[in-house]
Amino acid sequence: MANFLRTARQSVRPGDLPPAQFRKLVFEKLDALDMDTGFLGRYVNDGFSGGEKKRLEMLQLAILAPKYAILDETDSGLDVDALAAVGASLAALRSSEDGKNTGFLIITHYPRILRHIKADAVHIMMGGRIVESGAADLAERIEREGYAAFGSVNGTIESDIEVAGGTH
Amino acid sequence: MEHTSVGVAAHGDLTRESLEAFIALHGEGSISADARRDAFARYEELSPMRSPQSRYWKHDYAKLGSLGPLPSVMERTYDAIHPGGVTITSFHHARVQHPDIFEQALGKALGGIDDPFTALAFAFQNTGRFIHVPAGVVVDHPITLNLEATERFPYTLVVLGEGAQATIIEEIAGTSTGPNTMFGICELVLGDGAQLTYASLQQIGDSDRIFMTRRARCGTQAHVRWAIAELGGALARTTLRSTLDHMGANADITAVFLCDGRRHIDLSTDVDHTVGSTQSHTLVKSAAVNHGQGRYYGNITIRADARGAQASLRDDTLLLSKDAHIDTIPALEIASNDVKAFHGATVGSIDPEELFYIVSRGIPRPQAERMITLGFFEPALERFPGNALRERIRATLETKLG
Repeated sequence: MANFLRTARQSVRPGDLPPAQFRKLVFEKLDALDMDTGFLGRYVNDGFSGGEKKRLEMLQLAILAPKYAILDETDSGLDVDALAAVGASLAALRSSEDGKNTGFLIITHYPRILRHIKADAVHIMMGGRIVESGAADLAERIEREGYAAFGSVNGTIESDIEVAGGTH
Repeated sequence: MEHTSVGVAAHGDLTRESLEAFIALHGEGSISADARRDAFARYEELSPMRSPQSRYWKHDYAKLGSLGPLPSVMERTYDAIHPGGVTITSFHHARVQHPDIFEQALGKALGGIDDPFTALAFAFQNTGRFIHVPAGVVVDHPITLNLEATERFPYTLVVLGEGAQATIIEEIAGTSTGPNTMFGICELVLGDGAQLTYASLQQIGDSDRIFMTRRARCGTQAHVRWAIAELGGALARTTLRSTLDHMGANADITAVFLCDGRRHIDLSTDVDHTVGSTQSHTLVKSAAVNHGQGRYYGNITIRADARGAQASLRDDTLLLSKDAHIDTIPALEIASNDVKAFHGATVGSIDPEELFYIVSRGIPRPQAERMITLGFFEPALERFPGNALRERIRATLETKLG
């Protein structure tokens, strides 16, 4: 895992961190994400559980420090605790040095995640179109009034919330 | 006079005549002349290993071709005695210093000769290593053995007394003079409650051949752990059997092999549960790349009296090129009802989703494939004793997958 992370970072940012500093970075991020250092020793195709895979995604996000991060239905299938953990991870990522320069686009069906992370902008998409845009309080409106308040497509209600954050 | 009975290969170099010449040269060796002659007779009785019809498995053991000249006697002598009375010495010295233990143990795990290559190895045995750990002695650092392809007919006999514990790491290396053909025997005899980990890293030359017979026999509550890595040779054939004929005996068998280049690797593992409350776990990971060819036979036998026996067999194969081929043939023979037996096998190439996952992180495809393949072997490598050994195997695998 450690090797994989290092190689991945090298591919994106060749030669940016000498090994010792990279290790320091990895341990920092593990700590920030409240993850066990045991992950590093395991192989990339080891049998990771669903929850573990999720956390590894977060770790990769932290280490690869991308300009944009698109999280597509990252919260699907998560229980209350898992959701809180993911939310906390995202919050930690966002407030980190690298995170301040990352644009996060979170796509989800449920406003719940917004209890854990404050959005800079919220967009509601229905039938492939953005039907409403607003600030964080838009999410509260959805919870109160439901998606139906914003329109429908062929009589069915199927919508996504898009949450944008960061400086981009 | 050429030996020409039906079905026996024309191994011109290993005949009854050359055996007599060898015995004459050797004198009264560590294995008696009569025992050698009997073994050779067994070789003549047993049909040669004619491989089953297969489009891919191109080795017909009956046609091995020249095996090279017979070695002059090379009895390596060591008198390295570890504290605590552990003996590591040659057969020659073992017969002198520990005659009873030696005579009793020799052939105990073999349990008769049922394979023509075992017969040859026994008949022409020339170097012998004898390791004895007395009862109750726990050896904390691994004992290392270095075998070379030029030894031709090495025999290693390990005897552990009651409750003794040891780890042995054997390395088989090629030499710059080749090609060599080795016929070897590795026998492990465990007393009651003994624990032995026996690891082997086989890296003979690309034109060498090796036929290895590995046998273990466990006393009551004894535990043997095999960890075998077959990585070298033009042809490497190993038969490994663990006999659990005492209550509570336990065997863990782990093997990895990589068929790269034009290598042929043939491995068969066997566990024989003759009595109850015995356990065995077999894990084999193999891969083939380039034009490598492999074959794995995994056998578990649980006999009628082996009530409460537990056995598992897991074998996974990864095929990395279209000309690579591995046959994998698991077999479980269970004659008792009150047992737990598990078996799982997979054969395939690299999972495209797994590959995509890694490639999408910016890692070039060949490197991603290498990562996945190394990861594939990892669960088996974890069972090899000592990080140094694991790292060496990883390094070799990485080079071959390069």
